[in-house]
Amino acid sequence: MPETLNIYLERVVEYAPRLAESLTESGIMLGFASMAAILLGLPLGTLLFLTANGRPMENKFLYTLSNAFVNIVRSFPFLLLVIAMQPAIRYFYGRATGDPIAASFPMMVIAIALYARFVEQSLLDVPKGVLETAQSMGATIPQLVWKFLYVEARSSLLIGFTTAFVSFISYSTVMGVVGGGGIGDFAIRYGYQRYENDIMYTAIIVIIVFVEVVQWLGLKLARKIDKR
Amino acid sequence: MIDLKNVSKTFSGQNGPFKAVDDINLHIEENELFGVIGESGAGKSTLLRFINALETPDSGEVVVDGINVHKLDKQALRLHQKQIGMIFQQFNLLNNKTVEENIRMPLELYPYKESIELDRVLDFVGLSDKRTSYPSELSGGQKQRVGIARALITRPKILLCDEPTSALDLGTTTEIVDVLKKAHENFGMTIVIVTHELDVIKALCTRAAVMEKGKLVDVIDVARADVHEEFRTYHERALEVLRDA
Repeated sequence: MPETLNIYLERVVEYAPRLAESLTESGIMLGFASMAAILLGLPLGTLLFLTANGRPMENKFLYTLSNAFVNIVRSFPFLLLVIAMQPAIRYFYGRATGDPIAASFPMMVIAIALYARFVEQSLLDVPKGVLETAQSMGATIPQLVWKFLYVEARSSLLIGFTTAFVSFISYSTVMGVVGGGGIGDFAIRYGYQRYENDIMYTAIIVIIVFVEVVQWLGLKLARKIDKR
Repeated sequence: MIDLKNVSKTFSGQNGPFKAVDDINLHIEENELFGVIGESGAGKSTLLRFINALETPDSGEVVVDGINVHKLDKQALRLHQKQIGMIFQQFNLLNNKTVEENIRMPLELYPYKESIELDRVLDFVGLSDKRTSYPSELSGGQKQRVGIARALITRPKILLCDEPTSALDLGTTTEIVDVLKKAHENFGMTIVIVTHELDVIKALCTRAAVMEKGKLVDVIDVARADVHEEFRTYHERALEVLRDA
């Protein structure tokens, strides 16, 4: 038994640099996806909330448009979205395959759509009285959003982000098909294509541990900022 | 001060359209303590919300201080709303903010020139020891006092109260009535209070409008009672209601 363990450890050490490299690639994709979720998904979800029927910025056109974007992106099988976006990525970025930044484009698109929906849900959970109070104080739309809605929804926005982030990890694992690399691609390449199961399971365990840590951190922080 | 002229509003409810406010005319004087009473669904809250434009009438005019409220553009309307304080049945505090932050909220939105100092307003509502507490740590009565402090800090010309005591028990209701009365004496604003609790009107108001199914059926001069005569302990009230024939 110790001998098998030794062999295994030696193999892990041997593969460690490639594992580290794939983790960096995952990090790039997840970083871009998270950034897009926060910088664009959050405003888009807020827009969905504000422009819906009976809300302070009611606007049928804007609502329908943003709602359609979110629905279309989310109903795309992700692999097809990746492939369908190839020409656009090549046009904007110069190349569409073989690097994690190119692979980040579809990740960003799904991240925006997914988190926008979570944000909308979080804001729907804010009691109606909060909106009414803001209005009774003559709050502007930016004041309503920053000083009322985000304050009351903050822990739920964070939990939503944690859930979305875990999904990003899952989405990132298919980016191997366009040469984006990442830990998922690593597991498929060595485990599936080369029958090195020990390496595959090691990679999967790394992913599981990572997800667990993210989830734990997200919930812990959410609880800490929730004074309700 | 406040003039409602032929205001009406219809909502589309589950059982077809529903006339919440039906052609009401009402005048409220400056500095008055005015009550609006009626059963639930009589349209009281909608009427109250016309004054600060949380609701817009389908027809009729709402004139406050000579200004036709529903003719204002967005910016002017927000300014109008900033001159009016409002307290709510469910208090509507931000639960992620402390008592102090909640009370200061209006000042974060607009640089009020004559705002009251935080210490004074905290002291006024008797919450000086709770300034760093969160709403979840407060009782219902304390939450409503935070709501009142938040409304008072801007020195509003008008204070609108929407069922301010309906979520509270009797003893706490007395407390809130006392604070409102004191606020009126100290700051002399016009107070419009909507409630179905007759005792509250009797203790607080000088005049009251009675609403039924969206219509104004009467405006009464209230024979004001001393608060403490009207509100006895729960025990005393229980004895009266349960034991006396």
